[in-house]
Amino acid sequence: MEKEIRRKPGKTGPEQDKLKKLAKAFVSSYGLAFVILVFCIPVTIISPVFWSWRNITNIMVQMTVIGVLTMGQVFVLISGGGGIDLSVGSALALSAIAGAGLLNNFGIPVWACLLATLLTGAFIGAFNGLVITKIKISPLITTLAVQTGVRGIIMIVTGGADITNMPEGYTNIVSKGVGSISWSVIITFFVFVMTWIVLKYTKYGRELYAVGGNEYAANVSGINVTKIRLIAYTVCGLLAALGGIITTARLYTAGPRAGVGMELTAISAAVIGGTSLSGGKGYVAGAVLGVIFLQIIDNTTNLMAIPAAYVSALKGAIILGAAVLDRIRSSDSLK
Amino acid sequence: MRNELVLEVCNVTKSFPGVRALKDISLRFYRGSVHALLGENGAGKSTLMKILAGIYAPDAGKILLKGKEVVFHNPKQSMESGIGMVHQEICLSPHQTAAENVFLGRSFAAKFGFFDWKKTNAEAGKIFEQLDMDVNPSDVVSDLSIAKQQMIEIAKAISLNSDIIILDEPTSSVTEEERIALFRMIRRLKEKGIAVIYISHRMEEILEIADTYTVLRDGEFVKSAAVEGATIEDIITGMVGRTLTYAAHESTSIQDEVVLEARNLSRRGVFENISFKVRKGEVVGLAGLVGAGRSEVARCIFGLDKKDGGSILIDGKECSIRNPRTAIDCGIGFVTEDRKFDGAVLEMTVQENITLPMLKLISRAGFIDRSRDGAIAGSAIDEYGVKTPSSKQKVINLSGGNQQKVIIAKWLKTNPKVLILDEPTRGIDVGAKNEIYKMINTLTGNGLAVIMISSEMPEILRMSDKIVVMREGRVTAELPKKGVTQDAIMRYALQ
Repeated sequence: MEKEIRRKPGKTGPEQDKLKKLAKAFVSSYGLAFVILVFCIPVTIISPVFWSWRNITNIMVQMTVIGVLTMGQVFVLISGGGGIDLSVGSALALSAIAGAGLLNNFGIPVWACLLATLLTGAFIGAFNGLVITKIKISPLITTLAVQTGVRGIIMIVTGGADITNMPEGYTNIVSKGVGSISWSVIITFFVFVMTWIVLKYTKYGRELYAVGGNEYAANVSGINVTKIRLIAYTVCGLLAALGGIITTARLYTAGPRAGVGMELTAISAAVIGGTSLSGGKGYVAGAVLGVIFLQIIDNTTNLMAIPAAYVSALKGAIILGAAVLDRIRSSDSLK
Repeated sequence: MRNELVLEVCNVTKSFPGVRALKDISLRFYRGSVHALLGENGAGKSTLMKILAGIYAPDAGKILLKGKEVVFHNPKQSMESGIGMVHQEICLSPHQTAAENVFLGRSFAAKFGFFDWKKTNAEAGKIFEQLDMDVNPSDVVSDLSIAKQQMIEIAKAISLNSDIIILDEPTSSVTEEERIALFRMIRRLKEKGIAVIYISHRMEEILEIADTYTVLRDGEFVKSAAVEGATIEDIITGMVGRTLTYAAHESTSIQDEVVLEARNLSRRGVFENISFKVRKGEVVGLAGLVGAGRSEVARCIFGLDKKDGGSILIDGKECSIRNPRTAIDCGIGFVTEDRKFDGAVLEMTVQENITLPMLKLISRAGFIDRSRDGAIAGSAIDEYGVKTPSSKQKVINLSGGNQQKVIIAKWLKTNPKVLILDEPTRGIDVGAKNEIYKMINTLTGNGLAVIMISSEMPEILRMSDKIVVMREGRVTAELPKKGVTQDAIMRYALQ
């Protein structure tokens, strides 16, 4: 005997119900944007510099790396089965170093260097995906091991030294652009749009949500669950490498410590934006807002010279708050 | 002490949305007696047991324990009042020892807050000995067989001074030797003056171990009688007799072409040598008890499980089905047993669920053709009468019957040649049930071949043109619709 899962009929009249629904829809779709705007009010008063074009372009460049990493996490988180990728920080560094090393030691052209970087990232992602889907090790453990292991490999390969003096053709990705907007910002925006299109309009996107929502039902419907997840991890690795390229171009350097801890920032951004850790649910727009929010906090607290310790505590509270909100929302729809 | 009334159920009624699970049930249980509770799946046995175990609260009626009325708000209260329930699924802590599990949550503390291993093991050992159990207190639970784990559950109930022990299908997954050991233990329980409530589908066991039996049907009391002098026929007749009120299925649509043929399908340890044919427009009913291997055969035909031998022919040609995708491409659809587990993606919309198996057909260069996506879903909703405010509604917000219709519609939109329905009407209300029967009639009229698995005898009898009965992984009979009685099917399913 089973109880049927249905929305509880509200006790209020239909009018009030409608209003409530509208308010709820507003909170779940625009809530984060609203919170960001509210956050910006005191900031604007305290440091008017915030709205200067210079500062805005600055924020945009700063959010590029976390932006692309977050899109990778969105794929992996939606894919379900405990999907998460803790290895992107290490993948970012190793891919960048692999490309930069080839460039420095063998004098390959910049385009080949970039390709090698992307392939390295995709390879690490595919490795994660294979271990997770074929050997069935949990994503948390697998990517934690890869995070640690890859960081070790980086240290072995580089001996802890930076690869410096990246050529102009490479660093132009950040320093040049269209008008005052850097190429890296344009690339990141392109990644946002592509992710949105893939998730919303393609067969792969639909299948990804289905696999994350109920992998058994997806399997019965003829979807190759393994393949879908494998692609998600590979894309995540590829985007980590793209993050590596932008980092390297910005610093003129591929360093062994690049990307440390970034996986957690990226996961936080995705979660703040409403992506569920239990799979099947995630929105590009939300995740992008999550990235913007975290970046604005960094930027404004910097402008206001608030000590890093306070900033960290604030961010923690925001992540937890977002998770609690999500919990309330999902338990509401299950009632 | 024996034959003393210990537990009395008085006029208990319980309803779930759309279903009356128990109607005015009154039963008495006596010390030192094994009382068998019988009935088809869905007859209300488990609901009644869950009420006794404090998992559900009755809507009306009362429970008298040793003459006093008791109300349980949770399983713990029931357990502490002396009712021990041993579920079909074992609920022990797998990585702890037998003794630790017996005294779980009530450990014997030694000095300084340490755990007193010696006493725990000694006390558990005493109980095991009393009950004639071949289990060592220091054995780790996960290393033991299912039967021994069940015994530990019983020992746990005994350690709580239970007066009543409920055994829910304790022999469903144990070997013959283990069963004998279990029965020896049950006899010890009787000697100790404990009332045992025994739920099982196996008639021989009932005759062997029980003193009294009660039959429930559709949530109603049918009869109680002494086992002594009763025959299997008596019991089965009590279990199945009922009047039919649903849409009938006429065998007029059957055509000669065989659409699907299973030839000697085998999967080691699960089923063996399964062969049957399904013709165009025909409904083949797979009858049998839960655990007979019917769903497993269906999963294998659909490529969800690998087969070890045999072949599947569609339209006379052998199909190598490796996974659900190839099965779908061969023209098979599969409405699984548990729609929430692997039927629907509940958090996705009706539209997204319906087009899930045919995304390839409605996509170009990887992009979903949104107008076709919507058109297919829209027509499915109209054709199969899915009641939903819109195709964009999440499936989780629909009623059980409508969720089931979404899943059936999903498969029908793939234009299958064969549709496998595994318990298509489980847990849905009478009205929706009838609509699904009508749907099946229309479909077979259009030439669809249907394989229907059902544990409800009347459903099998009513809807099937041919009935394949399975027991313990084998086909025990293939019966034509004409002249078959529920008793006959039950007999093949049981013996």
